[in-house]
Amino acid sequence: MAGRAQIPTKSSALIAMIADEFGVVLLCWDTVTGFLLAGVGNVDLRRKTNYLIVDSKTTVKAIEDAFKEFTTKEDIAIVLISQYVANMIRFLVDSYNKPIPAILEIPSKDHPYDPAHDSVLSRVKNLFSAESVASGRR
Amino acid sequence: MMEDQEEKGNAENGIGRQKQVKDEYLLQFLDSLDGYLTLLDSLSSTLSQGWLELASARHAMGASRINGALLDLKVHAAATSLKVSEQDVDSMESQPCFTLCKWASSDNGERSSGEEKSLSPQLRHRNNSQLSEEKVSTRTGTPLILVDQQQRQKSLSVFGVLVSPKLRSAQLSFERALETLVEIANLHTTMLSMFEQVHKELENTNG
Repeated sequence: MAGRAQIPTKSSALIAMIADEFGVVLLCWDTVTGFLLAGVGNVDLRRKTNYLIVDSKTTVKAIEDAFKEFTTKEDIAIVLISQYVANMIRFLVDSYNKPIPAILEIPSKDHPYDPAHDSVLSRVKNLFSAESVASGRR
Repeated sequence: MMEDQEEKGNAENGIGRQKQVKDEYLLQFLDSLDGYLTLLDSLSSTLSQGWLELASARHAMGASRINGALLDLKVHAAATSLKVSEQDVDSMESQPCFTLCKWASSDNGERSSGEEKSLSPQLRHRNNSQLSEEKVSTRTGTPLILVDQQQRQKSLSVFGVLVSPKLRSAQLSFERALETLVEIANLHTTMLSMFEQVHKELENTNG
């Protein structure tokens, strides 16, 4: 059928993670550790992992590169990103519009989830506020 | 005159049907948005529980037994993965549908068949008994998910042979979080699809 977008089907796809753990004291990688315990960790033949632990030394460029890498890999279906980290690369996250991999912003230990910053929800909010302005003018 | 009235009636019916379709899209969008926010709230609670259990495990086992140096960087495939299938929304659109495959590594079948050949009958019986089945749901038609206890144990063994019960609880909490995340991902795609429909309808109305 003309104009129908093709969704690539996969029988075994990965979940990638970009999670933040900021802290001074100990063990700042709880979110990634927890999901690795749940079995989502993957290390390929080139010793590349499907996760990036973001700490105080991680640069914005490194996060951007990891985001671009995970969103272009064919074997990744969902990318989990801490909302706090997503805010550092907000422009990149907001301009992403492919169905796969799906980008899910999750809370981190020190930064609870804020719906106002969610990429999809802010797009919805902009649409309805633009619509109410337009209908007001009419 | 009768013909004019008939045409007017048909036009009104057409407009009524269009409005019905628009309302339907809007309702579906709002439903998926509500579901999305509810699941995110549930995810936050589950993750908080997991973090607390992880912190308790670290307190019980010691910081040296739970730290970044222990992360398994040897080549290995993910034991928990996703299956992506195509779901038809209407004749012009399809959207991805995610299904979680817990503890179902790709080489599981090979390994178990290999082990069956080499093991004695008694050991083979013990190996099979370690595989347990968890029914996710039979009413909704969701298929049975085979949970490999050996894979779960292997994931824990990165932190040593004897681990705190809190670490096992943390593992279960994060597994629950993964299930919630897959539901969120499916709602996310539905929400985006409905959002596009509503956006198109609004543009048509304004245009």
